[in-house]
Amino acid sequence: MISLRGVSLTYPNGTEALDGIDLDIQKGSFVFLVGHSGTGKSSLLRLLYRESVPTRGTVVVDGVRVERLRRSRVPQLRRSVGVVFQDFKLLLDKTVWENVAFALQVTGARTRDVMRQVPRVLDLVGLPHKSRMFPSELSGGEQQRTAIARALVHNPKILLCDEPTGNLDPSNTTEIMELLLRINLKGTTVVVATHNQAVVDRMRRRVVRLDAGRIVADEERGLYFGNEALRATGTTGAPALGPSAFGVGRGLG
Amino acid sequence: MDWGKVRFFWGEVWRNFTRNAAMQLTAIGTVTVTVVLLGGFLYVRTTLAAVGDDMLHRIEISVFLKDGTTAQAAQALRSRIAHDHRVASVTFISKAEGLRQMRQQLKGQMDTSLLTSNPLPDALRVKAGRPDDVPAVAAHIAKLPDVATVSYAQDAVQRALRVGEVLARIGLGVVALLVFVAAIIISNTIRLTVFARRREIAIMQLVGATNTYIRMPFICEGIIEGVLGALVAIGLLAAAEHQLIPKLITALPFVPLNGNSANEALLALELLATGAAVGAVASWFSVGRYLRT
Ligand SMILES: Nc1ncnc2c1ncn2[C@@H]1O[C@H](COP(=O)(O)OP(=O)(O)OP(=O)(O)O)[C@@H](O)[C@H]1O
Ligand SMILES: [Mg+2]
Repeated sequence: MISLRGVSLTYPNGTEALDGIDLDIQKGSFVFLVGHSGTGKSSLLRLLYRESVPTRGTVVVDGVRVERLRRSRVPQLRRSVGVVFQDFKLLLDKTVWENVAFALQVTGARTRDVMRQVPRVLDLVGLPHKSRMFPSELSGGEQQRTAIARALVHNPKILLCDEPTGNLDPSNTTEIMELLLRINLKGTTVVVATHNQAVVDRMRRRVVRLDAGRIVADEERGLYFGNEALRATGTTGAPALGPSAFGVGRGLG
Repeated sequence: MDWGKVRFFWGEVWRNFTRNAAMQLTAIGTVTVTVVLLGGFLYVRTTLAAVGDDMLHRIEISVFLKDGTTAQAAQALRSRIAHDHRVASVTFISKAEGLRQMRQQLKGQMDTSLLTSNPLPDALRVKAGRPDDVPAVAAHIAKLPDVATVSYAQDAVQRALRVGEVLARIGLGVVALLVFVAAIIISNTIRLTVFARRREIAIMQLVGATNTYIRMPFICEGIIEGVLGALVAIGLLAAAEHQLIPKLITALPFVPLNGNSANEALLALELLATGAAVGAVASWFSVGRYLRT
């Protein structure tokens, strides 16, 4: 589904954000991208939806050579890759319903499809009763769920989340992670860049760790600081808080 | 027809348009000024060209006869001139008739009762078939017997037309400059709207809207500004024509102005198209600059 080979990214100002990244992500998997601030997590995600192009290497998303994509084909890619951010990026003068519908309307979707898809995703994120409210009337978790609904309205195969819980309190964080798991269970590939150790350690999913633009660890059922850390200290009670703690995802991973 | 789509689209355009009314008014006002000048210029130019042409075609050669030429000799001269194939018509104007016509023309401008004696000689008024033949015909007639003097106004008219042409070029330059200024002001208003909507635009790009789709409301906004400005300008021009032309016709009795030489409907259409085009092009560029980044 996603495949990066020898990918490096140097910004025009000379900052070397990524350096020789090789990474494969299978269809339907759930992957955490962790690492200190400034190690290139956001930069890596940006390559996947063609917000930037690598200086070197190849990026394949859903069979498409993203770095070679012509400008006119980028919108097509963006419809098959949903993106969610820490700051939600909602339009404050539009209601929940309008924010979600907007994503379809600006791609020229037929009104019939808008009327069908918007309720579907609002249902999925559990917000049908708030559809007439404005973002300012919602909690942070509800705003993020609106943003996720918007990211899903095109039925993307991949959902990219850049610090989706960065602005949320623990209970909202749990809610959002639960939702992302549910989306993943429906077959969507989910990639989450995060700083949140508790979330990563609880979920026991694949963890890809970046440091200074390189991949320094990549473990299935991993922990934020790596399974080495667990073995060394034995202090992270991760198994008790595995995916089953959310009541979903049993038998996966 | 998908009315939901139509409503959404025009809702977006309306949102943009009402976001900064003062700026929109500035843009519309600039287009108005530009189009008024452009329209006035085109109008005056077509009218002048028509007037000039008309005057050239009306040029007559005045042939003044020597004092004491008999009526018979005058008749002979008349038919001789009329035989020239380049001549369209020859009219005999007697001394008395000449004075009567002059009194008529000068009525209200000069106290003709001051003319106590008749200073005019008998005359022939000759019209050439084509304006270009006037000089040759005049030269030919001057050599005939009984002819005292020959005069025509061709040189003066042609000089006036040349001056008009130069003025027209200067006018065109000024108008081109103004169109440019109007385009810049429209593009600035659009840029403000684009800036105010940069979040929306970023989100549109993120969710896979095409650049064409993102551009469309802004282009519409530019076209609306251009068209509104042009409409106001056309209204002003129509009012001006209505007020001014009758006054000009009375003020300039020698100039054959009739107010019909310009095709107003066509001119109005051209001006509307100009306004729309300026708006569309200006907004295309100001959004384009944003979309490339
Ligand atoms: N547009 C840009 N132009 C220049 N340098 C940039 C740009 N975006 C990011 N960088 C730099 O690239 C490096 C990687 O940044 P990136 O945002 O990918 O890190 P991150 O892992 O997402 O960090 P955080 O956890 O704080 O979000 C940093 O050194 C950053 O300063
Ligand atoms: Mg980041």
